[in-house]
Amino acid sequence: MSTKKLLGFIVVLILLSVFGAFGLMSLILLWANANYGLAIILGVLLVSIAFVLINPKGYPYRYMIPAMILLFILTIYPMYYTFKTAFTNFGTGHLFTRPQIIQKLLSNYYYVPENPEEYSFSVFVKLKDYKPTDDFMIIFRSLSSNELFIAPKPVAVQKDSEGNILLAESRMFSVKNDRATVNGVLYQLVRSSQDNSILSVVSNSGEKYMYFYSPDDRTTKSNAPFYLSEIRGIWLKNAEFTNPMGQQVRLNPNRLFTDFATSERKYGIKVITSIESGRAVQKNVVYNKKTGRVLIERDGYFYDIDDNGQEFAVDGYISNIGFKNFMKMFKDPRISGPFVKIFIWTFTWAALSVLFTFTIGLILALVLNDKKLKGTKIYRTLLIIPWAIPAFISVLVWKNGMFNETYGIINRFIVMGLFGAEKPIKWLSDPFWAKVAVLLVNTWLGFPYMMTITLGALQSIPDELYEAASIDGATGFQRFRKITFPLLMIAVAPLLVGSFSFNFNNFVGIYLLTGGGPAIPGSSTPAGATDILISYTYKLAFEGRGQDFGFASAISILIFVIVGGLSWLNFKLSGAFEEVNR
Amino acid sequence: MKKLALVLMIVFAVASLLSAKIVIWSSENQIPALQKLAADFERDYGIEVEIQQVNFGDIKSKFLTAAPAGEGPDIIVGAHDWVGELAANGLLEPIPFLPDADQYYEVSLDAFSYQGKLYGVPYTIESIGIIYNKDLIEEAPKTIDELEQMAAEVADDEVVGFVYDAGNFYFSFPFIAGYGGYIFKSTESGLDVNDIGLNNEGAIKGVSLIKKWFDDGLIPQGANYNLMDSLFKDGLAAFIVNGPWATPHYRDAGIDYGIIPFSEIELEPGTTPKPFVGVQGFMVNAKSKNKLEAIEFAVNYIGSFDGQYGMFVGERRGTVREDVFEYISKDAGPELYDVLQFSKSASVGTPMPNVPEMASVWGAMGDALSIVINDQDTVENALNSAVEKIKSAIGE
Repeated sequence: MSTKKLLGFIVVLILLSVFGAFGLMSLILLWANANYGLAIILGVLLVSIAFVLINPKGYPYRYMIPAMILLFILTIYPMYYTFKTAFTNFGTGHLFTRPQIIQKLLSNYYYVPENPEEYSFSVFVKLKDYKPTDDFMIIFRSLSSNELFIAPKPVAVQKDSEGNILLAESRMFSVKNDRATVNGVLYQLVRSSQDNSILSVVSNSGEKYMYFYSPDDRTTKSNAPFYLSEIRGIWLKNAEFTNPMGQQVRLNPNRLFTDFATSERKYGIKVITSIESGRAVQKNVVYNKKTGRVLIERDGYFYDIDDNGQEFAVDGYISNIGFKNFMKMFKDPRISGPFVKIFIWTFTWAALSVLFTFTIGLILALVLNDKKLKGTKIYRTLLIIPWAIPAFISVLVWKNGMFNETYGIINRFIVMGLFGAEKPIKWLSDPFWAKVAVLLVNTWLGFPYMMTITLGALQSIPDELYEAASIDGATGFQRFRKITFPLLMIAVAPLLVGSFSFNFNNFVGIYLLTGGGPAIPGSSTPAGATDILISYTYKLAFEGRGQDFGFASAISILIFVIVGGLSWLNFKLSGAFEEVNR
Repeated sequence: MKKLALVLMIVFAVASLLSAKIVIWSSENQIPALQKLAADFERDYGIEVEIQQVNFGDIKSKFLTAAPAGEGPDIIVGAHDWVGELAANGLLEPIPFLPDADQYYEVSLDAFSYQGKLYGVPYTIESIGIIYNKDLIEEAPKTIDELEQMAAEVADDEVVGFVYDAGNFYFSFPFIAGYGGYIFKSTESGLDVNDIGLNNEGAIKGVSLIKKWFDDGLIPQGANYNLMDSLFKDGLAAFIVNGPWATPHYRDAGIDYGIIPFSEIELEPGTTPKPFVGVQGFMVNAKSKNKLEAIEFAVNYIGSFDGQYGMFVGERRGTVREDVFEYISKDAGPELYDVLQFSKSASVGTPMPNVPEMASVWGAMGDALSIVINDQDTVENALNSAVEKIKSAIGE
């Protein structure tokens, strides 16, 4: 190995280790967030990148790595995620994991008792160079007894990953005769000789805390920004003080945080022992501290019981529900009922879309390919326009401008004007005509694509074949049937299969124009006459009670299986890839 | 000797104190008013408020993605009918206490309540009404019968007497509710989603009325929102049903229009149509790191008289505070005509249900209306199957 190569290798190693370190860090973070799927994928990627760069045998794979990364990110991971979601109840009401929800139940739910002990308070801060610091003490005055309490600065007990304090704790000490002993240190209150208000707090070792802020004292209003941002914003908003009676005291939400009140956590966690199939099982359960009732866990929800004895869902979490989503597809009459009808229409829609777009595209391509035709460029440009305009716009034009029953151009000028029909056609509200309409629009949107690929394929057919054919005296149609079409199909057939799969799931083509409608009279399912599988399942998953991602994922797996199977069958039957393989 | 406290009143450079920051997602229209409130808040709190502009239509879906990951804003502006879904997902922090709650219109607070808790500070209320072209109609009708007559008289080959997006449940609801149809029964503890009143006698009467308009040729077949909008802009429609968002465009189009609030047109003697009331307001993210500050900003700044008045001046939409309304209407000029008329319309309306179950109602009722309008089934059958659809979508 030459020195140059060695040097290069070392540089690669250094870069790789830096990259690996970052990768490892993200991996650990992902794992900590319980995002195991992504963590595993990242791990596999890291290892394979290292392998490819270090091992000489991996050299040819170097150029594949970027593609592999994109494949993982854009294809494999979404597939894995869909698959995983299909077995959960992920959706409205179930967005968080169970540990997250238990954490929330324990730390977010407080209740202020009916007759709370309320305290007004003043903040005293230590000064440094005449500027306030965040070293402070608080004096509380009980609103019921006027007793005074003093509390030192709370200590952070729990922090989040960004260093925000989630819980800080401190204790309140009784003040007797303006003296208090706080953690063994004696403090003395210094009062004003004029109005007897407390000016400062001094410890026997000489530490001095100056009166700084109280929400009830308007003269301290200009200190509010410092209090609100540096003292309350960091230390007090999640602080819990324990008063001498052992109760928890927090900022009082019912007074918009301008005083303190005794408040208690609503939920606690405890271990109960239950007998399950003859064995004693220890379980962690969440219970309501006020009523003592254990929360019922059912269907991925925690249920509590309110004052009227009614069950209500407190919070829901993501839970694995096994094959429930898949079972639902077969059990739910909303799906099993119209399924066959929708499936047949979906198939028809996809097949006819391909047939029409390809036929029209082919005819136009043949015409444009004719060397005797003048101005091909202009025609070609004009014919590509439907493809160039975003479907979102052109479909709206079709819907409102063309198909409107009373004012639409088709009814007004063609159906009634040109053909003199007496009744207008109910384009979008009659089941049959709505199907015609969606096919018409989809053909209009799709033929430029077919025309373009066919034009390309036509160019590749050698002219000699035609020359030979004309010498043999073949007619134009014979030439098309025996030469053009078979040779064209070699190139185009796989694309036709692709187009079929695309239209099978062409949500936009249906949803924008008819929204799956018109509705079928007397039907108790939301299935409309032009609903294809994907648009119907969209309705089921997202237009019911909120959003049901788990169910939507299960359905997309089913649709994937159907489309995959059909495409495989198509390839087999059309022999699309055979020429290539041979 | 309070002087010692005064000594400490040191003006700090606000920037040096910015330990936390409140982020608000707001659509374009509310930004000017919010910026002023944000400046006040920064002065008082030493905490920065950052207002990020997000398309109103995108706020909910973006929030649903960002908030669970702990990356959402602290406050969002939104419509009250998002509350059910967001609260059911545990993404909204209840507002513990709203000062001057008695100054707010009850309907606005009801709209933002879910399962007995208030989940937002409302700031604007809106509703729809009947808009007419004064060049075609001389005097506003007092009853729906009169409206039908006037519309029939004025209609000719070009001009349409009455047109609105009748297949859309939102616009047809006033006539259904006016006769006593309801979506979910309102009870003390919120809406009872198991009691659906969309196929009761009143609902049938209301939908039959809509059907009659089509059968009589009063409303053209194929009527939809875009059609109505462009006909009215061209001066070719006498009566339409639309909301305050549309009237500025009609003024720009040079149409001399009048607004008939639903409170001022009788369906039957003694009853008026009852439109949906939409309320917009500010909601606090339950996962916010600055919940206290966010709640205080919403309640004490946006919710104050000055805040609400500022929001009104910025957007010119119906206010939710009675004192602000009185203050505005004292010297209301013609420029406030729209706001006042639509506010009157809202006064007879009901808030659009904010429960997540509402998602199933739109499609089912839209289907029923389109079946009836196209004469494919009887009103009773269409409404019965709509209720069936809603029930099977909810009860899984």
